[in-house]
Amino acid sequence: MAISFKQIEEKLKTEAKRLLKAGTVSVVLAYGKGYDENHPMPYVAKNASDVENIVFNEFCTYNMARYLVRYPRGTKIAIAVKAADSRAVIQLVHEEKVFREDLVVMGIPVYGMKNSKTGEEIDSRTTCGLYNPVLYDMLLGEEVHGQPVVSPYDVLAPYEAMDKDERFAFWKKEFDRCIRCYACRKACPMCYCDPCFIDQNKPKWGDKSPQSSGNLMYHLTRFHHLAGRCVDCGECSRACPVNIPLYLFHKKVARECQEMFGQSAGMSIQDKPVLVNFRVDDSDKILE
Amino acid sequence: MKKTAIDQLHELAAHLMEKGTLIAPIKEDAGFNFREISDAKNVDLTFHNTIISPKSAFFPQMEDFVRYQTGKNVPEAMPVELNLQPTFLFGVRPCDVKSFQIMDIHFSGTGAADPYWRKRREATTILGYAFDLDAPVQAEEFYRTLGIGAADPEGSDIFMIRKGEDLLLKSITPRGEKLLAQMSPLTEASADEEKYFEDYIIRGRDFKTRFTCVDDKTVAKKLENIFHNSDFWTKVSSACLSCGVCTFVCPNCYCFDICDETLFGRGTRRRVWDACMFTDFTLEASGHNPRTQVFQRLRQKVNHKYSYHVRKYGVISCVGCGRCTRHCPVNIDIYSIVEAALKV
Repeated sequence: MAISFKQIEEKLKTEAKRLLKAGTVSVVLAYGKGYDENHPMPYVAKNASDVENIVFNEFCTYNMARYLVRYPRGTKIAIAVKAADSRAVIQLVHEEKVFREDLVVMGIPVYGMKNSKTGEEIDSRTTCGLYNPVLYDMLLGEEVHGQPVVSPYDVLAPYEAMDKDERFAFWKKEFDRCIRCYACRKACPMCYCDPCFIDQNKPKWGDKSPQSSGNLMYHLTRFHHLAGRCVDCGECSRACPVNIPLYLFHKKVARECQEMFGQSAGMSIQDKPVLVNFRVDDSDKILE
Repeated sequence: MKKTAIDQLHELAAHLMEKGTLIAPIKEDAGFNFREISDAKNVDLTFHNTIISPKSAFFPQMEDFVRYQTGKNVPEAMPVELNLQPTFLFGVRPCDVKSFQIMDIHFSGTGAADPYWRKRREATTILGYAFDLDAPVQAEEFYRTLGIGAADPEGSDIFMIRKGEDLLLKSITPRGEKLLAQMSPLTEASADEEKYFEDYIIRGRDFKTRFTCVDDKTVAKKLENIFHNSDFWTKVSSACLSCGVCTFVCPNCYCFDICDETLFGRGTRRRVWDACMFTDFTLEASGHNPRTQVFQRLRQKVNHKYSYHVRKYGVISCVGCGRCTRHCPVNIDIYSIVEAALKV
């Protein structure tokens, strides 16, 4: 079954218009026209006339959950989510950054999304590889079935085969490229700290200059701050102008978390966040 | 005028490396970038343009000023000397060459000269390189709007154009002429090739990137008039993540931070690129921040380039290279914003 992007776009427009007109929501977070068809943008519709600019095509990769925290509590928001994006919504609800009753979740079941910069298909290599949203109030299309189910962790194998020194050398080389534009943390739906630790002056946690020591401090700390929270949407890596494969580290930590606590971030609205929820039978592996 | 076969490029590169430091495009994991060349074979002219602009040849992302030691009663400090060799910046596109002239205003043209920028500029010979006029135009670029041709030689010391499997080189300044005369791996170009070169420059002016016919002062005035239209600015910035990609890849952004970075009593005072898109860029010591909102920061960026800069220095601080658009994680396009502003 091929995905009809046009059909999803029409449904997105219809629902957005209906919700805005009825006053159910005051903000619709979706995708809009960019400077050409292959470069759509995250888009905010605030009234019925904005809805005309909504688009949906294979380049609408953005995780709109990133924008939720910009609105004060009580703002009624409709948000278009693909599979990983819905996990981000759940995680943000868990962390009480947004509230379920303020949200209308418009789920988009989809596969075959493409990176607008490179044209490469986005799949389980760089994201969680799910096709259907985990949470939604309405589904703007048919649930996807029959597509290959590939573990999002398969991509880790060659890196896990490296020994400690090789792996450190690998990451050092990757981080040395970092220009500290902070696109990764800004594209991340879970990076909402204000201020981010790396921006603090007193105490200063890491150097601002783009050198090994500061780069390592920034990325390793960010990786650990996202332990048990990363939903594997792949936006950090997609945003990176120098192609650092940040998703690899996040996937590794996510799998450890899955193995130790039997839980993946944002997979169920009933869960409690892994770092908040203590259970007597929790794994002690982390202390060993 | 001289020429060389493209597949002999490494000989030309090796020759320049004997004379000093060569900075040229090389292919890296994520794309092309200008780097100091250590192996002449790495110079690669198959690029369209680099990720990071060549401004880093004069204004590196990180510049050490002073090294010091703390922990004693009187800290010891030593200035970091710039020991520059003659430098050759090879393969710069015409729009990027233009950006150097605009950056000169800030680093040496307003009374306070930046010695680091100035010394690097003085040490450097620029070898400009025309865009390929037979390649399709890239959607992000709009240097024509800023009055820059795809093969404009102005600002380069030597200008280069590709003709089939050959690279034609012509001196533009006396400095370029002197260098070109010394470059032994080159052969003389024919009269036909001279004509091709001149025609190419003219063809370059007709090469159509995105284009809006409007003069600098009209844009500046319009932006000034809609400064308080926060609906407009909120709308155009609604996708903005407020990261620093656009400013870091920009050939005309020049904001920097000066920080002391100390480890175990040994430290360096250095300048590092900063970005008006960062939340803490305007954070004051009191804790007050005059630009807390994303729309305020994006408005600042657009206005600085297209309004304040025109009012203060009479020129738009943008060369239409399209890097900010090309690398923006959410496809924000400064050209579209200015175009929309003109229609408000």
